[in-house]
Amino acid sequence: MMSDNTIVEVRELCKRFPKKKTKKEAGFWSKLLPLAGPTDWFMAVENISLDIKQGEIFGLLGPNGAGKTTTIKMLCTLLEPSGGTARINGYDIIKEASLVRQNLGAVMTGERSIYWKLTGRENLEYFAALYHIPRAVAKKRIQELLDRLELSSRADEYVERYSSGMKQRVAIAKALLANPPLLLLDEPTVGLDPQSARNLRELILEIKREGRTILLTTHYMEEADQLCDRIGIVDLGKIIALDTPANLKKSIKQLDVMRLEIEKFDPCLIETFQRLPAVQHVASHDLGVDSAWSIALQTPDSEGVLPEVIELINTQAGRVKHLQVTQPTLEDVFISLTGKQLRD
Amino acid sequence: MHSSILVQRSVGSELRALLAMARKEWIIFRRYPSWVIAFFIWPVLSPMGYIFSARALSGPDGSALPAFSRLAGTSDYVGFVVVGSILWMWLNMTLWDVGFQLRNEQMRGTLESNWLCPVWRISILVGPNLTKIMTMLFFLTVAALEFRLFFGVQLLQGNIALLLLILFLVIPSIYGLGMAFGSLVIRFKEANAMVFLVRGIFMVFCGITYPLEVLPPWMRSIAMVLPLTYAIRDVRAVALANATYVDILPDLQKLALFALIMPLLGWLTFYFTERRARQSGALGQH
Amino acid sequence: MMNKNQLSEMSWRSHIWAILAIARKDWLYFFRYPLNALFRIVEPIIWLTPVYFLGQSFATAAGNTGFAAYAGTLDYMSFVLLGAVISSYVSAVFWGMGFSLKEEMDAGVLESNWLAPIPRPLFLVGRTLASLAITTINNAGMLFLAWLLFDFRVSGNLLAAIAILLPMLAALYGFGFAFAALVLSMREANTLVDVSNYLVSQMSGSQFPVQALPPFLLPLSLALPLTYGYDAVRGYLLNTRTLLPIQLEIVILVAFMGVMIPLGYGIFRIIERRCKALGTIGLH
Repeated sequence: MMSDNTIVEVRELCKRFPKKKTKKEAGFWSKLLPLAGPTDWFMAVENISLDIKQGEIFGLLGPNGAGKTTTIKMLCTLLEPSGGTARINGYDIIKEASLVRQNLGAVMTGERSIYWKLTGRENLEYFAALYHIPRAVAKKRIQELLDRLELSSRADEYVERYSSGMKQRVAIAKALLANPPLLLLDEPTVGLDPQSARNLRELILEIKREGRTILLTTHYMEEADQLCDRIGIVDLGKIIALDTPANLKKSIKQLDVMRLEIEKFDPCLIETFQRLPAVQHVASHDLGVDSAWSIALQTPDSEGVLPEVIELINTQAGRVKHLQVTQPTLEDVFISLTGKQLRD
Repeated sequence: MHSSILVQRSVGSELRALLAMARKEWIIFRRYPSWVIAFFIWPVLSPMGYIFSARALSGPDGSALPAFSRLAGTSDYVGFVVVGSILWMWLNMTLWDVGFQLRNEQMRGTLESNWLCPVWRISILVGPNLTKIMTMLFFLTVAALEFRLFFGVQLLQGNIALLLLILFLVIPSIYGLGMAFGSLVIRFKEANAMVFLVRGIFMVFCGITYPLEVLPPWMRSIAMVLPLTYAIRDVRAVALANATYVDILPDLQKLALFALIMPLLGWLTFYFTERRARQSGALGQH
Repeated sequence: MMNKNQLSEMSWRSHIWAILAIARKDWLYFFRYPLNALFRIVEPIIWLTPVYFLGQSFATAAGNTGFAAYAGTLDYMSFVLLGAVISSYVSAVFWGMGFSLKEEMDAGVLESNWLAPIPRPLFLVGRTLASLAITTINNAGMLFLAWLLFDFRVSGNLLAAIAILLPMLAALYGFGFAFAALVLSMREANTLVDVSNYLVSQMSGSQFPVQALPPFLLPLSLALPLTYGYDAVRGYLLNTRTLLPIQLEIVILVAFMGVMIPLGYGIFRIIERRCKALGTIGLH
């Protein structure tokens, strides 16, 4: 039974596709006369289960081909699952598909989801009608979205003349038209320049602040880290880890490394650092000038240890010239779980 | 349940969605100017080959015309060819236009956007075709006027109401076929070959440029199950030989039957291919 | 100064190899759409059947006597079939040159091809080779089916007929260069190509004897060198009544070839240079 504030509930969702024959097997005549029945299946998504609460941004993070887009397509009813169930705002994705579509807005990957020979405004008017939004309400809503997404000044130009960032904003406006509680974003920043991508992420956080729930897929680790309240790491069609970004990073036994350059450093402090409970290893190096030393501390909790270290340095009248803290990233999490890199 | 969702479904809103799809189709149509060539130039060019062939076959002194007359019921071979040619052109344009409508959306990426919307699936199929039907009727009118101007063929002087009735009855058949076709096209990538085959069948069997009487019996039987055969025969009879409602009533009844069957066939093909497309993920492929 | 590590070694052999590579690519592409490939063979029969029945609907007890009064032969079907075969070769050259260029522009691969160190005209010629090969196979299949279904037969000198076709095709290559130039410089060539291809084909008598054209159109037909190509081949193979003595028609075709090849090539070079200056190659 879905709890009151669960917007998305997925239970053991699967999708399999028949395996395509290789070039050698599929000759001229076998392509003309298709053979009976596929012999092999490819599991694109295998037993995915998750719950997404209202108002959270949930990310599916994984490399290309992991099954993220396939999962999103099943949830928005574009693709029929091979097994398992899912509910969007209480509605079953198979039996109540039309109601599901009323309760979500989706932006699929690439610039190809809107009409290039229509203007931005005409695109929104068109889809507003398809979403059964009453005309008077639609007119107001469209103008509101155009203003909000900074499209008003060019709303009456053909979409084919827009930049990639603008096209993406039109697609998002289309997804927000019916004011749905859930937004599905499939690789929203792919193909955008860094500034546009940054602006889009800001927009996504703004949308979250309105109380909307967002499910997004990405293969950019920084994006998942910045935006998501919780992340499901996907590889080979399965969720291999699911938690907040912080907990995921903590879960691997990778240590933070704190590097300091300290002037007027008292070498006796090295032993004191070693005795700190959270510090696992200390490496030190005399720089030979102004009693300056380079110290590297390995600790599982750099945030906790740092204030203590600084205080100890201050009591000995030392001066921190340079400080760098390297923490494990989600990429490190992915590598430790799969042995592969996130970017293929 | 989120109470501020703006969707308000009703029959009226479904009709509005349908009209929005028709309107979108019209806007895009206007913005690609190449239709002007198709509409104004091809009606004149397309029958030319057959008309001159027929002229050659009838001989410099028209000595072979009586042979044609005996079979076709008229010696006006220009009018005869022109009628067959224009209706075949209509079918051909519909197969390409309607047949590739879904495929073009699939390749553009907008098929998924439409599919995501809470509208009836049949609206996605039918909506854009409302515009196509209107533009085709305009095309037929232009063609008829050009035939008058360039070939001296008067198609619009007969019983126009009866002509419109024939067209009205054949529209569901042609568009039903187009829709069936359009559904299959999103499944099979080699759509061009399919168009060639279907329009080829009509070209061979429907008596486009020759009287059906010249066909061997087995080919005539096949011709009798194609709706275009009756449409061509009846338009010729009404426009060129002043046939009345009573004269063509048996054919009209058959056309009415086709008008029921073909759209149903189109819808069923669409329904099953759409299900398969959702299972295979074909909606987003290009 | 040549870099010693460069792997390109230009020679006449390497040019031929390049042309064959282009032809092979087109050949492979053709067969990777098997349904389309199959229909290329079936399609001519689909076009020819209405023509056959049109002929039948004008047939008297003695055959197509009306037609014979124009063409000098009762064999309407063979007349049309020969026209179809010649038309297919004309299209193959046109298609190979101009239209395929358009396809490559649309697919975004023209620039990649243009970067290769092969003379552009040779590149265009290479494109026609696969087209001609496939057309020949198609025609063989079509003529076999026509012999089976429509009693197609020719009586004259086949080699002589082919010898007539050769200067005509060579001239078409020249025309094809000019047409390719047009495609390079125009954004939307499709409609122009379709319409002019159709008009030229009709006016030159691919489907009917041009003597049947109305008086105001006949001069246009007689001004097209292609008309004499169709006429001469039919004259040789079917003993039809030709517009001019066959030897004179052959001279016209050779002259056509002599003019068209340098003219077409010249136009192509001029426009290609212009496009390079404007940077419009590869844009569509």
